[in-house]
Amino acid sequence: MLKIVNGQVYDPLNGVNGEVREIVIDHGMIVEPSPDQKISETINASGCVVMPGGIEIHSHIAGAKVNSARSMCPEDHYDHFKVSTAGIRSGTGYTVPSTFLTGYEYSRLGYTTAFEAAVPPLEARHAHEELEDTPLLDSGIYTLMGNNYMIMKVLSEQDEIGRRERLRDLVTWLLTSSKGYAVKVVNPGGVESWKWSQGSVDLDTRVPPFGIAPRKLLQELVEVIRELKLPHGLHLHANHLGEAGNFITTLETMRTLEGYPVHFTHLQFHSYGMTKKGGIRSAAREIAEYLNGHPEFTCDIGQIVFGPATTMTADSPMQFRLHQMTGNKWINSDVEMETGSGIVPMMYRPSVLFNAIQWCIGLELLLLIKNPWQIVLTTDHPNAGPFTSYPQIIRLLMDRDYRNSVLEQLHPKTVNYTHLRELDREYSLEEIAIVTRSAPARALGLSHKGRLGIGAEADVAIYRIQDDKEKMFAGPAYVLKGGKVVVRDGEVLQSFAGKRLIVEPDGAKTLLPDLARNFADYYSIELSNYAVQDEYLSRPEVIPCI
Amino acid sequence: MRHLSRYSAMSKGLYASEGRKGRKVVVIDVRPTPTSKTADLFLQVTPGQDFEIAHVLRCLIKNIPLEGLTETSQIGGVPLSQWRELAEMMKQCHYGVVMFGIGLTQSRGKDLNVEEINTLVSELNRYTRFYAIAMRGHGNVNGSNQVLVWQTGYPLAVNFQRGYPRFNPGEFSVVDMLTRQEVDAALIIATDPGAHLPQAAVRYLQSIPTIVLEPHENLTTDWANVVIPVAPAGVGAEGTFYRMDNVSLRLKKLVDFPVSSDREVLQSIKERVIQLKGDLQDKGENKPC
Repeated sequence: MLKIVNGQVYDPLNGVNGEVREIVIDHGMIVEPSPDQKISETINASGCVVMPGGIEIHSHIAGAKVNSARSMCPEDHYDHFKVSTAGIRSGTGYTVPSTFLTGYEYSRLGYTTAFEAAVPPLEARHAHEELEDTPLLDSGIYTLMGNNYMIMKVLSEQDEIGRRERLRDLVTWLLTSSKGYAVKVVNPGGVESWKWSQGSVDLDTRVPPFGIAPRKLLQELVEVIRELKLPHGLHLHANHLGEAGNFITTLETMRTLEGYPVHFTHLQFHSYGMTKKGGIRSAAREIAEYLNGHPEFTCDIGQIVFGPATTMTADSPMQFRLHQMTGNKWINSDVEMETGSGIVPMMYRPSVLFNAIQWCIGLELLLLIKNPWQIVLTTDHPNAGPFTSYPQIIRLLMDRDYRNSVLEQLHPKTVNYTHLRELDREYSLEEIAIVTRSAPARALGLSHKGRLGIGAEADVAIYRIQDDKEKMFAGPAYVLKGGKVVVRDGEVLQSFAGKRLIVEPDGAKTLLPDLARNFADYYSIELSNYAVQDEYLSRPEVIPCI
Repeated sequence: MRHLSRYSAMSKGLYASEGRKGRKVVVIDVRPTPTSKTADLFLQVTPGQDFEIAHVLRCLIKNIPLEGLTETSQIGGVPLSQWRELAEMMKQCHYGVVMFGIGLTQSRGKDLNVEEINTLVSELNRYTRFYAIAMRGHGNVNGSNQVLVWQTGYPLAVNFQRGYPRFNPGEFSVVDMLTRQEVDAALIIATDPGAHLPQAAVRYLQSIPTIVLEPHENLTTDWANVVIPVAPAGVGAEGTFYRMDNVSLRLKKLVDFPVSSDREVLQSIKERVIQLKGDLQDKGENKPC
């Protein structure tokens, strides 16, 4: 048994806010302290805060597009490498680290769980293979469905009741055969439209080949997700990412889905107003105001970090536009009947007005959305910046003077298009614990994570209290994964595989017969070879649908 | 041929229901091949002109005037008018794919040829959807690339000498390492260097200790110091295969083989090495490095 003593505990889900508490750990779980326990190891956390392990709700860390980005950008690796030590593997990469390094780097920040945000079912096996090699993290994948041929085909059917049932069966089958955790939608209809060389889509654009409008696709999917009682709601990357004036679409999408559990991802990229000249201005106020009245919605930010980034998404039209705009190198992929995807490396600069405004919008959302339980801190790694920048963002949130000093260094016109300078709010340690741990745990329906109460999993991060919050969160004194000390003073001590979190909703275990015929005719692989085999998940854990 | 019938030319698509009839196949090669015989258009080109050809196609697609060239001027042994026809075809189609072979990397220009083809394909996306796929020579080359990339960040020519992965084709690639005689011993898995490498490299390989894991007899097994027979993946062992469009597939085990798989052999070698290293350390013989 292991005991953590003298630490100031932050456990927002249990209402513990910095009080000194003892935490006793046995067999990877937090247990009731009692006098007759045999304690083999005691961690003295005096002068430290004790928090649950961090939970990454949206990150691109494993799978086909991530790996293509790695091989596309050797320049991202040369100066960023880790030498192997006993039991710890070597690796390279800054914005797109290799798999082992990804696990270690998350661990070194006190993160213990991470979800890969976009996986086409056809390439799920690859994503799971990489997650097997991403140590010290419990992980899962979100399954892409927003531009899937079979989904659109079923939605085009006339019989409303039959359609709903068939869609439920199809969603279940796609989730279980990809061993996914949640339903992900990226630019609904927009990717398919691009594949037909057609323009970008609005909520009511009829998308070829079935003439399905994105609004309908979203409405029917959220209904099915509610029926299936999935632990995480619809994980939505809305239409028009990165375009001036897109907040109108974002708000319209939110109104359409009112009352349903929906997670709006990298919301910063979807909160742009338009200036008279067609540039962007902050619409964070409008978006935040709406979310403040709608507690059923959660979001993550996708905060811009100045420096190099690698954009990668299933949103191929957006990536093509970015390639045209920047002239940077570009890969695009067409995943048969399921989706597309693209990759473009980027550099965000404080001297570029567009980037500076983006930076402000992310922070404005974080400061204007009142309820921290609706927000998760992300950089949409590595799209807006690498996850290793989280400590820097935490400092920006907790230290107004620092924030304003950075704001001073941005493009001088930034203040004309943003409100950040007017915002005085500073995050408390409790709020930081919420947006990095407890809120994502709740949004993901993970009842044993993001908390430190009795029965919780013993994923714990211990940080030394320091004035410089960036330093404080960049180098935890201890990190425990499943009750084992895996990091001490920034050094990874041991490496082992985490669990893979999956769902098994109550629905069809096989593909609908007519779609199976389609599959046989038009997929490039056999149906019997499609589902991810059990061998690719060494430690699966089913999270119940309740 | 299997590629043509199963994927690229004959297969019926949901929106290409006519199969081969609804498609245009263009072959560019230095000599007639069984594939070129099935093509709608075969352009037999002179060797070593790959970059020029891709460059001219780029110009034609973007309507950039080609100074000093007339319609009958030859580029790669083919008149400009024919390249113009091809450029129009590419621009007009609904969906196109360039499949390029390893030959492109062997002629003058090497990697620049590939880059030029990729640029051509990116630029075509302003007009239509176009993709490029590299045709790989051997089975599951992509599998080894994929695993190396996710574990080290680099697809090939990875050097671990300093304790972390370094990448530099031309310095750390097999042929260069062997011809510079920098290798002490070789462990060869699932390939036949005796058949594929240049003579100088093979000759040097023959002079150093060589261990081969291989299910078949080949041009390396004859002279290797140690040959460990292994069960072939997909027949006698399970495994994962990465198709050249990056889709991964599970390989099944169909029959029992009297020998172990690559993985099992490597696992037991690794365990034995760790044990031996431990023994040496106990005796104090293992010098710190």
